[in-house]
Amino acid sequence: MTPIVKVTGLKKSFGGLQILNGIDLEVAPGEVVSIIGPSGSGKTTVLRCLNLLERPDGGRIEVDGQVLCEEDAAGKVKFASKRATREIREELGMVFQRFNLFPHMTALENITEAPMAVKGVKRAKAEAKARDLLESVGLSHRADHYPLQMSGGQQQRVAIARSLAMDPAVMLFDEVTSSVDPELAGEILLVMKRLADEGMTMIVVTHEMGFAADVADRVLFMDHGLVVEQGSAKQVLEDPQHDRTKSFLHAVRDRAPMEDVSDLPTEPVVSEHIETIPNDPDGAKVEQLESELAKLRGELDATRRELEQKRDPRS
Amino acid sequence: MDWEFVREITPTILEGLSITLSLFAWSMVFSTIGGLVLALMRLSRIAPFRWFSAFYGWLLRGIPLLLILFYVFFALPEFGDAWTFPPFRSAVIGLSMWTAAYQSEAIRSGIISVDAGQFEAAEALGMTRFHYMRKIVLPQSVRIIVPPFTGNAINTMKQTSLATVITVPEMTLLAQRIIASEFKAVEPLFTLAIIFLILTTALVFAQAGVERAFRLKT
Repeated sequence: MTPIVKVTGLKKSFGGLQILNGIDLEVAPGEVVSIIGPSGSGKTTVLRCLNLLERPDGGRIEVDGQVLCEEDAAGKVKFASKRATREIREELGMVFQRFNLFPHMTALENITEAPMAVKGVKRAKAEAKARDLLESVGLSHRADHYPLQMSGGQQQRVAIARSLAMDPAVMLFDEVTSSVDPELAGEILLVMKRLADEGMTMIVVTHEMGFAADVADRVLFMDHGLVVEQGSAKQVLEDPQHDRTKSFLHAVRDRAPMEDVSDLPTEPVVSEHIETIPNDPDGAKVEQLESELAKLRGELDATRRELEQKRDPRS
Repeated sequence: MDWEFVREITPTILEGLSITLSLFAWSMVFSTIGGLVLALMRLSRIAPFRWFSAFYGWLLRGIPLLLILFYVFFALPEFGDAWTFPPFRSAVIGLSMWTAAYQSEAIRSGIISVDAGQFEAAEALGMTRFHYMRKIVLPQSVRIIVPPFTGNAINTMKQTSLATVITVPEMTLLAQRIIASEFKAVEPLFTLAIIFLILTTALVFAQAGVERAFRLKT
């Protein structure tokens, strides 16, 4: 079958730092590809390059037969025109880590805006479709709520519905459960699993090894801007061939659910345990540990901010 | 204070109200358009646009409004007839140029307050930049823009009184004429102050209304 997404030799660097070192990726229609890898491996950047949220420095991207960017003979990357880029983007639904819903619009308005503005769908038709989509993500009762009135899990499901409203050929998911509370991740993953079952082509950057194992047809492990190894979920997750894959999976499983610094829970997990330490009637040890914890938390916040700034050089 | 005199002169001063209000209205129209253009230039990817906008803000905010008005009314005509404007138009030009420098900062702060993630979402959905600005950025940034914008508007409302020095017959000039002919200053100045207070208070109420309308629902 001809691939619907075809990436060859994709390269991208940020200020001298090479993030992608030549990525090749082909995705067949209906295939669910999961990209896993440590922080900074470039997995999110691959996704963002696919719809030109980041402009690659090298390589070629083709979506549904349309060329989004291509290197010419001199090695200079030529991009599709603005109009062509917009048209190709319609084929690619993107769901973000931080939902990125429009906070001044209701759930329904968030979903109908793009179909009406970009595709010229009439309001009545767009709304009917939006209500169907909300129902399919289990949120028909939230149609008239604003994003800030909803939980993270609900917002993310609205964001998925918003992307689906454009009838994309491929859905891109960028760590979509990473900024919701762990107990809410399940409802998002369930919606994604259902989508996969319906035959949607999906590229999923994720830390959810369970999802990769259950749903993905293929798993790619990335490190240092390269695809280190790929294969069926069973193959990569259970019988990895490369040392780097092994050590990553080992680290993930040992420290679960803290796969990544940005995934650390903001609520204290340690102090609950500290308070139950026996033989410490005056709580001196608790105090000491707590002050250490506070310091570590400060460092964590600083690192997180740094990472965010790197991720979004505009802010 | 002679209240009878106040009652007598109030209608005379109010004759200048329409001029004060149209000075204000035209200045707001032009300075808002100018401020928006300057803000977009300041945020542009094209460096000369950014430089121009920054230079404009530095210049116009760095010199007194009185000087700007003098320049437009007295100095520009030396460049020829095309640069010669009647008093009212000169005042509108000066006030608009001056206010635009401040409004551009108010508008810019509103635009940059909208999270970059929303731009990416809009792009990923295939929206044009114009549509994004109009339907996503504008409604959200109004909330941020309104308070400093109204502050600037209140300033401009008060500064219309400076147009008196280039002979625009707005309220301040009429009050000055009364002082000159009646040799009484307390009542005309008192009346003038009250009228300005009413006008600026109305703006404050307008601000509260707009802010309510654009509040984010949580």
